[in-house]
Amino acid sequence: MKNILGANDEIAALNRQMFAQSGVVVMNLLGSPGSGKTTLLEKTLARLADKIKIAVIEGDLFTARDAERIERTGVDVIQINTAGGCHLDAPMIQKACASLNLSETQLLIVENVGNLVCPAEFDIGENFKATVLSITEGDDKPLKYPLIFKESAAVVLNKIDLLEFTNFNLQAAREDLSTLHPTIKIFETSCTRGTGLDAWTDWLLSKAVR
Amino acid sequence: MHEAALAENILNIAFDAANQNHAKKIFVVGLTLGELAGVEVEALRLSFDVLKKNSPAEDATLKINRVPCRATCNKCGKTFTLDRYNFFCPECDGILILQSGRELLVDFVDCE
Repeated sequence: MKNILGANDEIAALNRQMFAQSGVVVMNLLGSPGSGKTTLLEKTLARLADKIKIAVIEGDLFTARDAERIERTGVDVIQINTAGGCHLDAPMIQKACASLNLSETQLLIVENVGNLVCPAEFDIGENFKATVLSITEGDDKPLKYPLIFKESAAVVLNKIDLLEFTNFNLQAAREDLSTLHPTIKIFETSCTRGTGLDAWTDWLLSKAVR
Repeated sequence: MHEAALAENILNIAFDAANQNHAKKIFVVGLTLGELAGVEVEALRLSFDVLKKNSPAEDATLKINRVPCRATCNKCGKTFTLDRYNFFCPECDGILILQSGRELLVDFVDCE
C-alpha cells in the first residue's frame, strides 16, 4: 500500500523538520475566495508585527495583488503563483522558504489559495491550520466541507458585522463546528469594524511564542 | 479540483510498481479512499482516464474501495461509524478520535 500523497508528505516532513530547527511556528491560513483571508492577515500583522518577527508566504493562482498588500505592512512576503493550481503543496513551500530568513522568524503565515476543498488534503509541514469562514458564505459550510474544519485548529467567523443582513445561524454554525471538531477554537471577527481581532491575535501570539 | 494532482500521483505509483515488476502493461489500480478524504470520485476517474493515455496504463481501470469514517471514544473506548461527522460520543461525554476515513491509498497495481 502506498500513500497517494506520499511524495508531498515526505517533503512536508522535511519542511516540518526545517521549521522546528529554525524555531519558527507555521500557520496554514485557509478559506474560500473572498472570505477575508488577506484582510484578516493585514489586520493581524498590524497588531503583531511589533511584538514578534513574522513572515508571510502568499499563494495565489495568477496575481501578486495579495503579496503587494502584505508588503505595504512592512512584513517580508514571498509570492507563490500556482498558475491555476488549486492549492499549495509542500515542494512549493520548500522552494519559497529558501528566500526567507527562517531562523530570524518566529511566525510564518502561509495564506493558501482560496478553496475549501483541496488545500485541506495537502500537508505543507505547518504546525496548525486556521480557516476563515465569512458570514456571507452561509452556515452550512462546516458540514459541506468537513475535512477542512476537522483539520483546522481554529476557525475565524469573519464579516460578523453582516450577520443581521443574512440568514446565517450563528448558533447552528458553532454547533456544527464543535460536533465536527470538539476542540476547535472559534473566533468571531469583523475586519472592517475591528471587532474580535484581539482575541484572535492573542491566541495566535500564544501559539507562536512557546 | 485537486483530483488531477491525485491522478498524476496514482499513475506515478503505478508506473513505479510496473517497473519494479518488469511489467509492460497496467490493468487495474486498486485504491482505498476514505469518506472524509476530499475526493470527487468522478473527477478522479476522468483525470485518470485523461492522464493515462499513451502510457503503460492506457487500458487500466480504477478499482475504488471507499472506507467509512470510524472513530473511537477517548473515554469509553467504543468505536462508532459516523455519518453526520458528530465527534461527540453518543454514549458518554467523551470525544471521538478518528480511526479511519482519511485514507488516500494505492492498494495494488495489477500489471504484467
